[in-house]
Parts: sequence; structure tokens; C-alpha cells
Amino acid sequence: MNRKKLTTGDVLVYAGVILISLLIIIPLYKVLIDSLDLRTAYGMKLWPEKFGLDGYISVFTNPTLYEPFRISVVTTVIGTLVALTLSTLGAYVLIQWDMPGRNFFANLLLFTMIFNGGMIPTFLVVKELGLYNNLGSVILVPAMNVYNLVLMRNFFESIPHSLFEAADIDGASPMTIFAKIVLPLSKAALASIGLMFLVAYWNDYTNFKIYITNSDFYNFQMKLRSIILGSDLPTASGSATANTVQNAAIITAILPFMVIYPFAQKYFVTGLNIGAVKE
Amino acid sequence: MSRLKKENLTRADGSVIQMGQAPLGVRIKKYIPFYFMFLPVLIFAIVFYYIPMFGISLSFTEYKGVKDPVFNGLENFRKMFSMPGFWAAFKNTLFLSTVKLLMNTFMAVALSLLLNEISNLHFKKITQTVVYLPHFMSWVVTASVFGMILAPSQVGLVNNLLTQMGVLQQGSEIYFLGDQKWWTPIYFIINIWKDTGWGTIIYMATLTSIAPELYEAASIDGATRWQQLRFVTMPALYNTIITVLILNLAKVMNLFESVFVLQNNAVIRQSDVLQTYIYTQTFNSGALPNYGYTTAVGLVKSLVGCALVLICNYASKKVRGRGIV
Repeated sequence: MNRKKLTTGDVLVYAGVILISLLIIIPLYKVLIDSLDLRTAYGMKLWPEKFGLDGYISVFTNPTLYEPFRISVVTTVIGTLVALTLSTLGAYVLIQWDMPGRNFFANLLLFTMIFNGGMIPTFLVVKELGLYNNLGSVILVPAMNVYNLVLMRNFFESIPHSLFEAADIDGASPMTIFAKIVLPLSKAALASIGLMFLVAYWNDYTNFKIYITNSDFYNFQMKLRSIILGSDLPTASGSATANTVQNAAIITAILPFMVIYPFAQKYFVTGLNIGAVKE
Repeated sequence: MSRLKKENLTRADGSVIQMGQAPLGVRIKKYIPFYFMFLPVLIFAIVFYYIPMFGISLSFTEYKGVKDPVFNGLENFRKMFSMPGFWAAFKNTLFLSTVKLLMNTFMAVALSLLLNEISNLHFKKITQTVVYLPHFMSWVVTASVFGMILAPSQVGLVNNLLTQMGVLQQGSEIYFLGDQKWWTPIYFIINIWKDTGWGTIIYMATLTSIAPELYEAASIDGATRWQQLRFVTMPALYNTIITVLILNLAKVMNLFESVFVLQNNAVIRQSDVLQTYIYTQTFNSGALPNYGYTTAVGLVKSLVGCALVLICNYASKKVRGRGIV
């Protein structure tokens, strides 16, 4: 294809793409600018009218906001580790083609994608286990994700089988093979599925909403929700308006993600493509 | 136990697995460590998926809060089917999720066709980074952002712009998220904002796999850019579109968080879906939670969802030769 001249078609294409990108970025940009503006801003500004970090200072110096942030970090880190352990162990067992019962186990997991007990029976089981109003619920319930486990299995299946056989002949135990061969060869998979869990745990609102009613255990999403609904506005520090603090809280909720996004983007895309295009 | 199975399986990487080369007892012994490795997965599956399935029996009981469940036959279902709130939620679930699916798919295809026409790789990369972004925002953040943008006062960007343009008078701002006329279209727009970009990935993967020779041949034959799109690109995308639709149609009953964070009491009739209905009936009803009734609603939801998965699985096997589960 040799398009050296810029045709009318090209202009339309570029204009369309720029317009769509702007529509997507403007809402976020508006929130960002307003979070840095000490006056309540009206309309679209390219830059804050009265720049100041007081909005963020109110967020980070307020213990009722600092604590949910910490809970988000804790549940996200522990949850992702538990979830990755389950997915990798499960996936590794499911690629043992010769193992008696393998099909039964696979079907046992796949059936949960077709039918489930629903929100209330699951809630009652969690409550019965003593995990109601306990961070264990929001860590353990989402940890078992059959979709991601199957995705991981697809990754593992691409490891040449001869490697396992060679290690087996050398007398390596299954756990050794898992730790020394499977995991090192699946770094991309671990990164991409790990990131999916990371984002899911960080963004989790549904499980908190169902299993946690004690506001001492709220994560940042829960806290942000009550701030935005106006029922729980933290006292603004310095000269920040309530509006500034609300905007700053929104940006704080996405800040950790924005830090990793530039490095992580390619892993997210790999994960999706392997899941969808495989076979 | 010396019966041997004859057929061997060929793996994806070409190696051959000999089935049943050892007696069952020997094989079980060989795999003992693996059974232990699977144990945690098994425990999680049983505790969080299978035990709740038995909890479904609660839908045939009256079970309010602290009192023990009492069998009451089909009473919960009789009550459910006579509740206008249930039917509204049922219809909204199907309507909101299928329309959302169709709109998101259309927009994602349109955007990927545009992106595909861009020859400047650097520009393309930046655009993709920007348009993927909203996918990673939580629904709480999304609802917060749009709560600000659509606020029913001059602080809200949209109302402010409409006032500047003279469409609205100051003081008569529209409460987009609390207006029965506006809620549904706004819900679709927010969904389009959030997932159009991310939706393009799968189509972009298909588009890059189209052989360039096809375009060369087409342009030698004198096909215009539009004709190339129509006769080369679109047919290639067709299968991917069908796949995406089938995969997502199987999940339409699960709609919850996106609606939950955007709805409010003023628009409950337009916005309530089965999952939000179950949630509010159980936890926000003001009375003792009626677990029996909401479990029954959950059962209807799960059964319809199950039927959809099986239909989509069948359709998927027909269309692309393999199922979705």
C-alpha cells in the first residue's frame, strides 16, 4: 500500500480517531484539572484557575481515607497471591493428560461457569464461615476464578511436553517441575493474569458491598463511593473546596493503576489475545 | 486392571500421549502429588461454588433473618411472578445488557476500522493507550467521574456547556442520572465510553491477520478504499463479531455493578436489574432479609443464565466448531 499523499479519506480517519480519543479523555482530564483547582471550576479548563495540592493533602492526611487505602493495598496484594497460586496449581494439574480423574476435575470447574448458586446462598455460606465483616471474604471469594484458570492452562499447554518428561526422568518431583520449569517459562502468563487479578482486587466494590458492612473495613472504592454520594465528605484542608476534595479522591483511586499502566499495557493485551484467539 | 485403551491423543504441540499405558492403580500412585496440589482448588470450588448450589433449596422455604427456614413449597415463586418489580428487573436485565452488547460491539468495530486505516504507528500506539484506559477504571470511579460531569448544576460540565450554548437556562439544569427519560441512554453512553477502546483489541488482532496480498489484489483490480473495506475487511471481521456476540450473550444475566453504582431511587423502574433487585430486596429492604425469596429470584436468574450459556455453546459449536465452556 503506497499512500504518499494525504487523501480526504486519511483526513477523515485521523479526525475521527482524534475526536473519539478526546471524548474518552476529556471526562478524566476534567476531573484531574478540577482536583488541582482550589476554586470550584465551571466548564472546561485546560489548566487549573488557582493551582494547589490542598485537595490531595486533605485526602492523604485524613485517617478515614488513609485507612481504606491501606485496606485496598492489603486485600489486593494478598488476594492476588492467593488467586495466582490457585490458578497456577489448578492449571498445572489440568495439563496432566494421563492423570486419572483429570477430566472429572476439569468438568467440576467448568460446570461452575454454567451454573451457580447465586448471590444469596454464597453470602450465607460466607456468613456461616464467620467471614462476614471480615477481610477474609473479599480476599477468598474472588480468588477462585475459573476463567483465569483456564487461561493459565492454555498458556501452560504451549510448554513443550518433552521438557516435563526429561525432568521426570532426571527424578524431579512434580513440585520441582512446577517451580523450576513451568513457572519460569510462564512469566508472561503470570504477569498478564496476575495483573488482571490485581486490577480486579483493587477495583472490587461488589464483594465489599455484599460482605462488609463495618466501615472500619472499607476499601478505597467503598470510601470513594460514600464521599461522592456526599454522605461522608472529609473536612477539606487549607483552601480546598468540597468539589476539589471529591475530584482528588477520584484521582487517588486510579493513581496506583496509572503508575503501572505504561509498563503493564502489553501484558493486558497479551492476556486478552491468548484467551480469545487460542485454538 | 490390565485393560489398555487403544487410541492415542495428539497434543497441540504434536507430541503423542499414549493413553492408559499403565494400570490405573499405578497411575493414581504416580499422580498422588498432583492430587495434593489440586486440593486447594478443590476446596475453594466446593466451598464457594458447590455448597452454595445446595443453598438453592432455600428458595422453597420461608427464611427470614434469624429464624430457621420453614418449607413453604412454591410460595416464593408465586410471590415473585406476581411482583411488578421482579418483571421490570427481568426485562431490564435483558434489555440493558443486550442493547449495551450490540452498541459496544458496533462502536468497537467502527473504532478498530478507523485505527486500522492509520499508517502512523506512533500515533496509533498513543491512541490505543488512551482508548484502553477507561476499561481499567472501576465502576465506582466511572460513576464518580460521570457523577461530576453530569451533575445537575453549573458544576456539571455537560449542563455548563449546554447553558453556554444557550440550550438550557441557568437554574433548569438536567439531572441526567436521576431523570427517567435520560437514565437509559446515559447508561449506554457511559458503557460505550468505558469499553469501546478495550473492545477493539480483539478486532485489531483479526485485522492484522488479514493477508496484505488481498488488499493489493483488490487495489490492482481497481477497488476503492471503501470497496476494500466492504469486500475484504468486513468479511474477515464477520466471524470475530459473531464470536464476541456469542461469548457475551452467555453472560447477560450477570449484569450488576455497572447498574448498581449508576442507579438511584428516582430511576429504579428504568434501571433495576435482577442482581440489583436481589441485593436491595435482601440488604436494603428495611425489614428482616427474606433470604428464601431472594434465593428464589437468584435461582430464576441462574436458570435463565444457564439456558443462555447452553444456547450460546450450541451456537458457538455450529458457527466456529468449538464450544465456549
